[in-house]
Amino acid sequence: MSQSLRPYLTAVRFSLQAALNLTNFSSQVVERHNRPEVEVSNTSAELKLQPMHVSRNEHEQVLIEPSVNSVRVSIKVKQADEIEQILVHKFTRFLEQRAESFYVLRRVPIDGFSISFLITNKHTETMKTEKLVDFIIEFMEEVDKEISEMKLFLNARARFVAEAYLGEFVY
Amino acid sequence: MLHLRPENLLVQKTLTEAWNASKAGSPLTLDRVISDFDYTTLHVSNSPDDKSILWLSIRTKAWQSVVKCGGDFAGYLKSKYNGFHAVSECSPEQGYDFTVQVKLDELDADAIVQLSLMKIHIMSYPFQLAFDEFARLSQLPEGSNASDTVHQIQYRDDENIFIKPSSDRITVIFETFFQDETDKVFGKVFLQEFVDARKRNRNIQSAPQVLFSHEPPLEAASLMAARSADKNRRFITFVLFPRHFQTPELQFSSVCHLSLFRNYFHYHIKCSKAYMHSRMRYRVDTFIKVLNRAKVDDEEEAGEQTTRRTITGRKLVY
Amino acid sequence: MSYLNNPAIVMDNGTGLTKLGFAGNDSPSWVFPTAIATAQRSTTKQGGSGSGAGQSQGSGNPYFGNSTSATSFNSLASAALLSNNLAGKRGTEDLDFYIGNEALAASQGPSYSLSYPIRHGQVENWDHMERFWENSIFKYLRTEPEDHFFLLTEPPLNPPENREQVAEIFFESFNCAGLYIAVQAVLALAASWTSSKVVDRSLTGTVIDSGDGVTHVIPVAEGYVIGSAIKNIPIAGRDITLFIQSLLRERGEEDTTLRTAERIKQEYCYVCSDIVKEFNKFDRDPQKFAQFIVENSEKTKRKVIDVGYERFLAPEIFFNPEIASSDFLTPLPTVVDQTIQACPIDVRKGLYNNIVLSGGSTMFKDFGRRLQRDLKGIVNNRIALSEHLSGTKSTGVDVQVISHRRQRNAVWFGGSLLAQTAEFKSYCHTKQDYEEIGPEIVRNFSLFNMV
Repeated sequence: MSQSLRPYLTAVRFSLQAALNLTNFSSQVVERHNRPEVEVSNTSAELKLQPMHVSRNEHEQVLIEPSVNSVRVSIKVKQADEIEQILVHKFTRFLEQRAESFYVLRRVPIDGFSISFLITNKHTETMKTEKLVDFIIEFMEEVDKEISEMKLFLNARARFVAEAYLGEFVY
Repeated sequence: MLHLRPENLLVQKTLTEAWNASKAGSPLTLDRVISDFDYTTLHVSNSPDDKSILWLSIRTKAWQSVVKCGGDFAGYLKSKYNGFHAVSECSPEQGYDFTVQVKLDELDADAIVQLSLMKIHIMSYPFQLAFDEFARLSQLPEGSNASDTVHQIQYRDDENIFIKPSSDRITVIFETFFQDETDKVFGKVFLQEFVDARKRNRNIQSAPQVLFSHEPPLEAASLMAARSADKNRRFITFVLFPRHFQTPELQFSSVCHLSLFRNYFHYHIKCSKAYMHSRMRYRVDTFIKVLNRAKVDDEEEAGEQTTRRTITGRKLVY
Repeated sequence: MSYLNNPAIVMDNGTGLTKLGFAGNDSPSWVFPTAIATAQRSTTKQGGSGSGAGQSQGSGNPYFGNSTSATSFNSLASAALLSNNLAGKRGTEDLDFYIGNEALAASQGPSYSLSYPIRHGQVENWDHMERFWENSIFKYLRTEPEDHFFLLTEPPLNPPENREQVAEIFFESFNCAGLYIAVQAVLALAASWTSSKVVDRSLTGTVIDSGDGVTHVIPVAEGYVIGSAIKNIPIAGRDITLFIQSLLRERGEEDTTLRTAERIKQEYCYVCSDIVKEFNKFDRDPQKFAQFIVENSEKTKRKVIDVGYERFLAPEIFFNPEIASSDFLTPLPTVVDQTIQACPIDVRKGLYNNIVLSGGSTMFKDFGRRLQRDLKGIVNNRIALSEHLSGTKSTGVDVQVISHRRQRNAVWFGGSLLAQTAEFKSYCHTKQDYEEIGPEIVRNFSLFNMV
């Protein structure tokens, strides 16, 4: 693990822990509705807190937008080149397609980020906050690793395939 | 499966079935369509009046451009099936390019293999012309042995193979085009590896040299001039040296591999995508496991706080 | 685009058998078990073996290894190894597999393990299924999926998520030009249009689909499956084979293997109209007894097996299940009647009118006729009762069971029939549609209107 990754993840962890202080809060506008306030724009500004932006560099950033009953975490995954871009896109789409089983995953990332999570008070009530933070951190670690592994795989496979093909011409 | 086989498995199976049924005395009634790569369709049917005679017709995208290469194409195809009594050419069936008549009584396993290679035989004609041209050029004295013959096979809508013989080599240029964004990126990685493979690995030093460019190579430039430059177009050049086509066997095997190059290449792009899917499925499972660890168990919850229930046993929710 | 000329591909992946072929053909080009033999991640070193794509080496375990690295491609060392040695390397295990009959053969050896990716009609293992399709398309059908439209089948009550997974595989991995997913029962109905008895080509009817493992009775109204009324019967081809085998054993025949029993089932069995009469017929006319000759592979030894009452008794277990099983006792005609009675009243007439058979176990001679007769009996009794109770005259219900020549591969044939029509491509979702809207696009397909 490189020098700057550890502090970056630690910063995200503490920010998340601070943000994940949620309470049940009914909508002030619609009767008998209870909606994640962070997703509702333009109303009840007093329910939202200052967004936190943790940034390791241009390509790796986390945006945490807390509110009274929900937190939205958006992650920008490192995409150094065209291949990584495609791989990240494919991977996040694949995950979002299965958002049902991820509970906290948002089906669409917010603009400028690769993937977003939406954690509401319902989630913090049925799950341990500590473990949820662990999940997000592990997710961030694993995604980077997975993307670079897939890239390595692609190169290795391409090499293997090319050699196998040209090997057929060796008489 | 690593390599794609040149022969068409389904043609083999269908003909073998028909052959066996005919030997057993109960000939099959066939009217089947079979397909092959690159807009190729084959059709197996009975002759209307004699069940022991089958017609095998082929229609392929490459046909027209192969005919344009000139020379005695019909004679070349005929020569491929000359050795077999069972197979004789007949006038092409409506909607198909080429038809042979197969007498089931005289069929044998070799003939079936050759019939299943029909598409390769068609594709191999321009290559054969190039081999002949090479033989002629290499006899001529230095200086006067330049030739500007370029054979073109248009084997897909937007993709061509250019074959240019010269006195010391034959250059085969593939023009490729990707419709899908992901394929384009993956394809780039693969093509780069094709170029580098020979340099890196000593064992395949004697394989053809591979070049890769966005611009049409000089050999094909004259034919490409009319077309507008398209950013998505790639050119892969294989330089065949005499050692790749010294004997008819080598010629055949080189042609087989070259004419399946695009299919091989796309097949493996698809395989990698399938493999990535299975990796991602595995990843999803592990992530879900991590997430499920965060869940509070029901029993645990019950122990920690006393929930209030109604008389019917339902939980009170605030 | 010139892929318009290419025939569409019809794939019917069943629990037991997969049928592959091209639209417009009268029978599937390939029929083989839906089985895949994957390379076992053994530690044995097989340098330069020519089989498949090379043997896996070392302990690199892509799926079940430690959680941080999912493949063995994370070290440069292995990549370097790759360059040095062409045959036998890590990370290409996903190319080393066989499907269908080749899978059965390969699994005899030590280095492959066999698995069936489809269970109870639904895909269980998507990794295997994706590779199964990959090999089906490139090896057996020899097609570039970009140039072809695909028609796939699904069982009734398949969750829409499964459809989305299929779309994800076909559009993202294979870039197929277009995709249509049809419900098997609806295709079986379409296949019955070839029968001369069918006049109106409607998509309303009851499908009796009997394969090897289980028999389904599926009501379909105007192209939509009435899911709540579907009934399953645990009697199907395998039970008949086992029943024949037990009869052979009781009599002490020389050869009582499952294979022999199966051959007898396929070649000699038929459905009779009345068992008692049939017994008498057999007793009076010894000609009815058949003999089945088993030859061993070298054709040196012959065993003669007598085939007797099982000729008509075996298929009889559909109509009198008590002769073979003790836990399921409802005869098929009763189940069909119950199914239709569970449907909305306004479609019942159509369902009685068009009962379609599909699958290998409905191929017995006179199966349809017997079913029609028994079902008619049940229906007429009920009508008589209601007439008696209400005192009004009923207009009657017409019961018609349709059997046709394409019954064995009815689902595939129905698909071939639909996919060769000119309109087929307009019903498909294309790759462009998928890219614009996403996988949820396949949740809905418009129905064929073939009037």
